[in-house]
Order: sequence, then structure tokens, then C-alpha cells
Amino acid sequence: MRDRWIFLLIVGVLAVGPFVQREVIATEILIFAVVALANNLILGYTGMLSFGQATFFGVGAYAAGLLTIHAGLPLPVVLAAATVLATGLAVLIGAVCVQRIGLYFIMLTFAFNQMFYFIAYSWTTLTGGEDGLPGVRRPAALADDLTFYVLVALLFLACLLLMKRVVDSPWGRVFRAIRDNEARAAAVGHDVRRYKLLSFTISAAFTGFAGALYSLLYGIVPIDAIHWLRSGDIVFMTLIGGSGHFFGPIIGAAFFIWLSETVSVVWDRWPMILGVVFALVVLFLRGGVVELIRRGHGLVTARGGAATAP
Amino acid sequence: MILTLTGVDAFYGLHHVLHGVSLEVRAGEIVALLGRNGAGKTTTLRTIMGLVDERRGVIDYDGVSLLGLRTHEITRRGLAYVPEYRGVFSDLTVAENLRIAALRARDWTIADVLELFPTLRTLQDRKGGHLSGGEQQMLAIGRALLSSPRVLLLDEPSQGLAPLIVETVIDTLRRLRGQGMGILLVEQNAETALELADRVCIIDQGSIVFRGAAESVQRQPEILSTYLAVG
Repeated sequence: MRDRWIFLLIVGVLAVGPFVQREVIATEILIFAVVALANNLILGYTGMLSFGQATFFGVGAYAAGLLTIHAGLPLPVVLAAATVLATGLAVLIGAVCVQRIGLYFIMLTFAFNQMFYFIAYSWTTLTGGEDGLPGVRRPAALADDLTFYVLVALLFLACLLLMKRVVDSPWGRVFRAIRDNEARAAAVGHDVRRYKLLSFTISAAFTGFAGALYSLLYGIVPIDAIHWLRSGDIVFMTLIGGSGHFFGPIIGAAFFIWLSETVSVVWDRWPMILGVVFALVVLFLRGGVVELIRRGHGLVTARGGAATAP
Repeated sequence: MILTLTGVDAFYGLHHVLHGVSLEVRAGEIVALLGRNGAGKTTTLRTIMGLVDERRGVIDYDGVSLLGLRTHEITRRGLAYVPEYRGVFSDLTVAENLRIAALRARDWTIADVLELFPTLRTLQDRKGGHLSGGEQQMLAIGRALLSSPRVLLLDEPSQGLAPLIVETVIDTLRRLRGQGMGILLVEQNAETALELADRVCIIDQGSIVFRGAAESVQRQPEILSTYLAVG
């Protein structure tokens, strides 16, 4: 029930979004909201910290870029192909990474990210290397930034609903059980590694899909799209928003992109603000911004209750 | 005879924690595994379930070796494990804790478990972590039953429970034994264990040091004081 209200609130925000922010920024926020939500499937729901989400974001972006530039395929095919490619890669990378837990899992995701970054960096004939891959043109019907925003907003809602279904499904239940206690989940009869791979792969599918939209948004795939710093940003967004709540990462993505795109124009040392915010969140607000809202809500209802008490 | 351990060694990393443990659990009997703190009781259960780093020797269940199997495969073959401190999923509700185990339910359904523990019926939407100790223990046993086990491994089910609830747990275990289930029970509380068990094994420093009928131990309490230094 409460989820329905939040969902309606999100639809409302989406409707006014492009009028309070430049369309491009609003679109980028939605793209990274999908990425952060997807990251939360593994981080918040399954308890796995990946420092390699940019691998799938970058691969999705490059795939969409290359298919648009060289093959001139229609948009739905481009998006589907990029998603499938990122998903397939996630099965291979994930199958290796889930063999290890904790720090070693993190290092493996990081190592694969580095590997794919250097492939993208050195294979200049394909990716443009450091200069990026320019010339990713959107179809004429979507050339206008507002129209593209509307498309991305609809796709964002679709992704949001799909991911909500995943976490509410029996799979989602097993993911949470694994986060709670891996040995116990195995003792109940679940193949923990297989479910971790499933979570990892679903997450990568959405991340690759978002990467494809990103390349179409800016018409270029910068090398940063696949850089491991991007993976760090994704973890930041998820934690600042709040990994303990399904909708939390959306707030984190909005805050992060807004800060980087607006404040960076005024002050090029903006990551310092981010660092301070992140430190504050970790020290005082483990649940992220969502926790702040929850506490505020608790305060208001407590006061309301006191006022009406006889 | 359904579960047999013969000369089982177990390791956590380089630590050799079990030394040639042999024991058996037959259908329809309760075997109590007693021992001091750190003697290797919990490790024995974890070894059977494949939750230690390395295990050697023979662990057979119904003529099939469990050594090469992973934990979830062992569960699916018919062994269920209720860990110490009850081990419910604290972030999942009671209903979710049961449903997660019922994915492959055969003999036992969620309705059966709620009939066995009516208390759980009213608590379905409560998070596992917010239950009392006794409620958690019922949930943990109920969840274990949903995998339709033929052998139940229980780690200190009476720990920290009010005497009345201990009675409920004991009654439940007797009922399960009556239905032909084999139960391997780890207990700190020797009195509770002797009241329930058919046979007793005492473990010390990772080796079985005594084996016998529960009755004979009850008749000769000095056995307990020798190995457990209680009394």
C-alpha cells in the first residue's frame, strides 16, 4: 500500500522533472537511478558489494554506440542487444566472482572492471580509446531532449516495476536470506552460489540497459563510462540514498548527478562536498537519506500523537 | 541405519577440529551428543552439513556418501539442520521464513507446521529478529521440517528458553521420533538430553570418548562427571 503511494509520488516527480532541471540532467538522473537500483539488488538485497558495475554500464554503452553507428539498427534492437550482451558477460564474470565471498568477491569484480577498462582504453579503433566513441545519433523522432526524457522516464518506470517484482518474488526472498546468513540459506536447501549469480546477472542486465540509454543521451561513449571510478560512484549513489530501502538508491542517484552536474559548473572541487556528505552518511546515517526521511516521519507522527492525546 | 559417520576428520583452515569421529543415527531414535564447551559438538553437526572447510572420512546417509555434496544438496537429500541460537532469518517475516523453506516441501506443509506450533500462526507478519527465543526456536524447527527431513540435526534447542517452552520443544521432538525421524541432538544441558535421548555420545577435544544407552548413563551419573566435569 505504501509502495503504491511512493510510486505515485515518483510519477509526479517524473512529470515535473524536466521543468525544474535541464532535460539532459533529468534524463541522466533517471539513467543512474536505474543503475543504482540495480546495484541495490546485489548490495542491499543479496549482500554483495560489487566494485565492477561500470563494466556492464560501459559494455552496454559501447554496444549501443557501436550498433547505432555501424549497423544503424532501430532503437529497440540496439537496446535489446546491448542488454543481452551485458547480461551474457555478467554470467561469465559472475560465475567466477561468486566462487569467493567478502573482500575477495569485491576484488574480483574490481579486477574484471580494470580488465575491461584497459580493453576499451587500448582498442582505440573500436572504442575511440581515451577520446571516447562519438557520433551515437538518436533516431530523428527522439532527437529532441524532452522527447527522449519522456522515453527514458517510461523505461525507468518499467525497470522500477520489474525490479520491484524481482525483490518481491520467491527469488527476492532467497536473496534476502543469503544477505542475512549464507550458511543458513544453504542449510534451508538453496544453492547459494546460483542465486548470487542470478542476482548479479539481473543487476548487470539493468545496468547494461542503462548504459545503452546513456550513450544515446549524450551521443558519445566517454571512456569514463567503463572506468572503475564509475563503479565507485554507483556504490556511493546506492549508499547515500539508502541501501536498506527499495526506493532509496533513486534519491542517491538524483543527489549525486545533480551535485556533479550543477555544482561542478560553479566549483570544480565538488567531489569534496560529496566526500563530506558520504562521511556524514556513514558516521550518522547508515540508512542513507531514506533513514533521514524515516526519522523525520517518526518525529512528526510522534508529535501528532502527543497533540491528540487526552 | 540412516546416518553413519566413520572416522571423520574436519578442518577449519589449518585447524584440525574433529579427530576420527564415528557415530550413527537410526530412524526413529534420538541420539544426544554431549560435551564441554568447545569439545566439537557444533562442529560435528556443521561437518555433517558440509559447513566446514574440509572433511575427511566416511559420512554416509542411506548408503550414499555426503562428502562430495554441497550444503543445499545435503538438505535436499533429507537432512535438516537447526543451528545454535535458533538461526532464523532475522530480516524475513515468520511467513517468509517458512515459505523460503517450503519451496520443495513434500511431507510437511506450512499448514502442518502451524498446526504443530499454533503460536506462529498469529505472528506471521512479525520479523524473525523480533521474536522471543522460544518463538524463534519453534520457527527454526518448523522451517527445518519443511524440507521434509528424515534426519534432524539440532544444536542446543533448549538454550535460553523458559522451562515451559523447553517442554513444548521436548514434546515436539518425541512426536517427530514417533514418526520415524532420526534426531541428532547437541545439548549443553545433560538433564534435558538424557530425558529425551535413546543413546548418548560424549565428545571431548574433537573425539568421541563415550558411547552408550541413555538409561545406563542415567544409572551411572559418574560417567557425566568424568567427561563433562559437571556434578
